[in-house]
Amino acid sequence: MRSAAFRSALGGWRLLTVAYFVFIFTVLLAPLVVVIGGSFSAPANDTVIVSYIQFPPERLTLQWYARIPASQLHALGVSFVLGLAVALAASLIGVPAALGLVRGRFRGKTLMSIILKAPLQIPHVVCGIAFLQLYYRFGDATNFYLQGTNLGLFLGHLFLATPFVIGSVSTVLLRFNPRLEEAAQALGAGPWRTLWRVTLPVIAPGIFTGALYAFIVSFVDVPVAVFLASADTTTFPVELFHALEQDFNPSSLASASLAAGFAVLLVMAAQRLVGMETLLHSK
Amino acid sequence: MDRSESIRWGQLLALPLLVSGLLLLGSQFVFLKQSIYIDLPFGKIASDWSFANFRRIATDPFYLRTLWLTTWISAAVAGLCVILGFPIAKTLARLQSRWATLLLSLIVLTSFITTVIQIFGLLILFRGDGLINQMLMGLGLIQQPFTLIGTSAGVVLGLVYASFGFSVMLMYGIVRTIPVSLEEAAAIHGASRLRVFRKVLLPLCLPGLVVGFLTIFNTSMGAFTSAALLGGGRVITLPVLIQRTMLLDVKYGMAAALAALLLAFVVILNLASVMVLRRLRHAQGVMA
Repeated sequence: MRSAAFRSALGGWRLLTVAYFVFIFTVLLAPLVVVIGGSFSAPANDTVIVSYIQFPPERLTLQWYARIPASQLHALGVSFVLGLAVALAASLIGVPAALGLVRGRFRGKTLMSIILKAPLQIPHVVCGIAFLQLYYRFGDATNFYLQGTNLGLFLGHLFLATPFVIGSVSTVLLRFNPRLEEAAQALGAGPWRTLWRVTLPVIAPGIFTGALYAFIVSFVDVPVAVFLASADTTTFPVELFHALEQDFNPSSLASASLAAGFAVLLVMAAQRLVGMETLLHSK
Repeated sequence: MDRSESIRWGQLLALPLLVSGLLLLGSQFVFLKQSIYIDLPFGKIASDWSFANFRRIATDPFYLRTLWLTTWISAAVAGLCVILGFPIAKTLARLQSRWATLLLSLIVLTSFITTVIQIFGLLILFRGDGLINQMLMGLGLIQQPFTLIGTSAGVVLGLVYASFGFSVMLMYGIVRTIPVSLEEAAAIHGASRLRVFRKVLLPLCLPGLVVGFLTIFNTSMGAFTSAALLGGGRVITLPVLIQRTMLLDVKYGMAAALAALLLAFVVILNLASVMVLRRLRHAQGVMA
């Protein structure tokens, strides 16, 4: 029996929840809104110093987008291609690793699992310095220097990203219904054909999720790339980081907005392809 | 089923283990080895090994203070993310409406953009003549504009922005694994909302929340962006110190020793908490 007092208490609770949500989301999204809003804002006077950027904007302009420095556009391109390469390679390593870890029956599996997931335990800044020193050493020994090269960055990010693919594919594999494979084999499909035609399609959302996380790990990383990147191979977060360390210019707002816009597209694509539930569940 | 016909799953591990193992051993071995050589000028290192770098870290209070600063900042960040984020995660996990998907997408979005962009926004919002200072001064709450730069509060804020979305995603997953029927059963038997939360949901989520806390603590211990941009050279955390020692002072041995300290500290804390967690789960098993 719901009394009036109970109902009003429930209403009060709801109001409190809504108020809390509004507060948290406002605070959470404010910096992003300011950056995107600022990127369309015309300066009050003819200055290009960011401290004169008006927020909320008084007049709208696209001039900052036209003035994005070539180095930032290049860095956006580097980040994008690097992220794709890392996502692809991490999947090629992570999917077989997850299959082996979940389905293999042999001794030493715990140790292998520890080795494969170790990068998750290593602080990112330690990864950065560790790879840089490895590259110095390797270069001294072989005359083949990896620091400041795309390959060097790629290997560092691959190290960080692979455990994410292993994690999300393992999660999906553990929920996998073995009946599906039994049915395929009963109908005459060989084991590899079953893997290719039944298992992989069923775990595809897990693979996609893992690849997406791998891309993101690379796309947002600063602590590793700050050690491994050179002027030619700087990723976008590091380029923006250096821009913020110095006196930055409002076209950084425009390039940052482009990166944020791309993230919006990624979230929408993920929602379409696998749905939020899979995305969050196979973490 | 014919045994010879089935896939040997273990063999699939060969290539992944080779790649991951080489990267892991290569990177970790080289810097750990570097850490026992003292630095000479011009980026050279001594030819004989010694524990001099570690002795210096252990005896110079500056390094220990830096470790302590990094630890409490990371603990504060992890605590804030879990406490502020759990109500959001819990409500979204139980909400059956289109709003849940939209709000979740926004949460995911914040973890898909680099912290640098969020800190960029914070710098604009909190600058001397920025929106926040104008509002606070307009309301008469402060007389002088204040700044976040160079304060540990600023560094904590930046790190919370870096991890909040991720922490909500993590806790959402945890709440979703707990059947809603358990809460309903408690409610039917007359437990109030608060009581259901305290006696049913919270204890079931607790191990997951501890894992969440640790994950964010780990991330924050190794995070570099917030302290570098908002610390303003006054709040120097261990990651910033490592970067400066390596790239500005060109002291590879010392930088490696500091990195080894950070790595050991995080790994030991993780192992200790795994044991605590096991106890926790065990205790729950006994209760049930």
